[in-house]
Amino acid sequence: MAVAAIHTAGLSKDYGLGRGLFELDLQVAQQEVFGFLGPNGAGKSTTIRLLMGLIRPTGGSAHIFGLDCIRDYVAVKKKVGYVPGEMPQFGGLRGSEVVAYFGGMRGGADVRFVRMLAERFNLDLSRRYREYSSGNKQKLGIVLAFMHRPQLLILDEPTSGLDPLIQQEFYALLNEAREDGATVFLSSHILSEVERACDRVGIVRAGRLVRIADLEELHSIRFHHVEIEFAAGARIPTDAIKAAAGVEEVVVDDHRVACTVKGSFEPLLHAIRDAKVANLVSHEPSLEEIFLEYYRESRRALPS
Amino acid sequence: MVAYLFALRQGRWGIAGFGAIAFLITLLNAAGFYQVAGHTTAEREAFARSIDVLAAQFSVIVPPPMRPDTAGGYVQFRAYGALAIAFAIWALASASAAARGDEERGIVQAVLAAGISRLAFVASRAGAFAIAATVAALAGSAGVLVGVASGGESISPAAALEAGLVLVALALCCYSLTLLIAQFTGARSATPVAAAVLLALFLVNSLSRTFDWLVAWRRLSPFHYFEQSSPLVPGEAIDVGATLVLLAIAVAASALAAIAFRYRDIGSPLFSLPTPSRPASYEVSRALAWRIPVVRELYEQRVGLLVWTVGLATLGAIFVVLTKAIVEPLLTIPGLARYFSAFVHGDVYPSFLGLIWLSFTQLLMAGFAVTRVARWSAQDSDGRLELILSSPVSRAGVVIERVVVLAVEALIIVSVSGVSVWTESHSQSIDLDRGRLVAAMLLLVPFTLVFGVIGALLASRVPRATVGLLGILVFASYLITQLGPIFKLPTWVQDGSAFKLFGQPLTTGVDQTGLVIMVVIVVAGLVASAMVMERRDIGA
Repeated sequence: MAVAAIHTAGLSKDYGLGRGLFELDLQVAQQEVFGFLGPNGAGKSTTIRLLMGLIRPTGGSAHIFGLDCIRDYVAVKKKVGYVPGEMPQFGGLRGSEVVAYFGGMRGGADVRFVRMLAERFNLDLSRRYREYSSGNKQKLGIVLAFMHRPQLLILDEPTSGLDPLIQQEFYALLNEAREDGATVFLSSHILSEVERACDRVGIVRAGRLVRIADLEELHSIRFHHVEIEFAAGARIPTDAIKAAAGVEEVVVDDHRVACTVKGSFEPLLHAIRDAKVANLVSHEPSLEEIFLEYYRESRRALPS
Repeated sequence: MVAYLFALRQGRWGIAGFGAIAFLITLLNAAGFYQVAGHTTAEREAFARSIDVLAAQFSVIVPPPMRPDTAGGYVQFRAYGALAIAFAIWALASASAAARGDEERGIVQAVLAAGISRLAFVASRAGAFAIAATVAALAGSAGVLVGVASGGESISPAAALEAGLVLVALALCCYSLTLLIAQFTGARSATPVAAAVLLALFLVNSLSRTFDWLVAWRRLSPFHYFEQSSPLVPGEAIDVGATLVLLAIAVAASALAAIAFRYRDIGSPLFSLPTPSRPASYEVSRALAWRIPVVRELYEQRVGLLVWTVGLATLGAIFVVLTKAIVEPLLTIPGLARYFSAFVHGDVYPSFLGLIWLSFTQLLMAGFAVTRVARWSAQDSDGRLELILSSPVSRAGVVIERVVVLAVEALIIVSVSGVSVWTESHSQSIDLDRGRLVAAMLLLVPFTLVFGVIGALLASRVPRATVGLLGILVFASYLITQLGPIFKLPTWVQDGSAFKLFGQPLTTGVDQTGLVIMVVIVVAGLVASAMVMERRDIGA
């Protein structure tokens, strides 16, 4: 049986006052893309720092490809590519020099591969780091993480600051890395991102892993806020909307209807198919709203 | 109000540090006066003559003293001359940080986004600095009063406050000028350009004492107006007109800076040339230096290293010239023998070079170590260390590489400086022992490393407080050597200073015990900091 790419047992980092990470038991298989989902301050970055051996656990253990993250931290880093939550300062260094600097620490950068990455992300390496926008700094972080084709990518909110087109390019790169045999551990606070990129998702809240879900389970958790504006004078199919599967919390205000939709949009679209719709807006709720909904559902499911 | 409080909070360490410096400098000079000047009228007159002759040699840098036979006159000359430079540097650093540094860090954008107008922003920063400078200057005034009281004499508190007021006016003037200059420069060049302007204004005034053709120009210099007041000197008072000129310049420059700030883009100077467009490049730097540990760090810091090397080499040559010019007339005055007897041993010229140049070079090398340690602690706080440690390098390796880089840099700087001093002393017919000069230069490497490893240990333990703590250590260490003989401090206190461990290699050769102690400190500090680094949390 192949050794797990990531294995943690009772991994804890207690900062006091209830802050930190507690009793994390996690196993990520090789070639898996694992999402680590949670709101800000939930313990995602703490987990990643523990895996990277940057901070020492107050309890439990963490292993990467069977290597202890604390004891064997140098050997671990040979297998890992890392995007930090926030890129540091490199002042007057040019992008090309930052790549050469970190490439040098790994025995030299693959010049052709770096060029390919920079071209894909349209990252001008001749510019000074301090001239880079936050998006370009993030692109450079991605180049640094991918440039040595690591076996494991540990990515702390890697798409923050990237525009949608570059995000698409990043997801494509992630798929290619996986096809080449890499494992990915990706933290995010955006549900749609992990839904799109990951095979499984660990949901962390207040320092504790509350659930590990596959994609199907994830779909059942998520919902959308929908606002429909009907044309003036048009008939509003209120009853049909309320009766549609997955549609809840329907509120009618003049010729506007607000509701939430769980699962597929098909029943709602079917309900309004004959009405004259002037505008329809759907937006994803915050992760905290999803958690509240998730816990409400869990309580309902409990036997009284 | 919130903007003022925020600005004050930003400058709290400056207030604490410069307040402590002002208090210590005035206190130690006032108290030290009674140790070196004697107690009888005849002794003090002889002392005053010696100081007059000594000061005449440095008139290029400092104004001549008035009534140095009195504590007030001595403190005005020794302490407030130095404090003027210190406060000008503080003003420079604070204003360039407020004008452009905080802009780079995004603080200015955040403040403006909170609904504070640009005019209010400039006013809050200038106002906060005025409060900070006033607090620090008051500490200096307190030092004068306590120091003079320790000698059983008294000085008018009003005079001490007036001395502080003039200092605040100078600091505000330098602050506002820097603020104004920073509106016309790039963010990175604000500090060096403003520093160059302030240095030029300082030199216009000080050199005008030697070169008559500069006399007409010195009215441009704030330092000229500062020197018009000598309130601590008996019979002298604050020059109200000159002080008002300083305050008027401060107000006018701040107002102009506020107007310029109003019309310029955040992140850009008021006027800028369009940069020509060029095609993007996706190539990695092929410089071999990036691949080699130690060399990569030296290569990255090459510009700073070059500045330090050239600066210290030039300074060394200047000190040799000054030594010749100073020592010759001093040797003709018998009264000075007692003043210098605490310091001078052996041959006169090497002794003076050791006293003036080497002790100053020691201070600069300690300062160099502080700048490098500041870089290490910045790497910790801005996340660069985290990214470095995501590469397959050991934590101990990072510490060792840092210290080795510091050693190599120190060796480069002192080697060039040594060559410069040797060449210039040869042309000045000063007979230096080549072996001792080489030994003195090489000894500066472990001396620098002592502060480097202490800094490495601090950076591994308390990265955010490292620079302040190391700065205090350097300052205290230097003060002990300078004032230990005057105040007759216990031997064990004086021996605890790294400056004392360095000894007087130009005159008495290498102090073997001092060298061994320094090497032991370096090795123990290196091992300890590597061990602490291995166990600590990074970026937490």
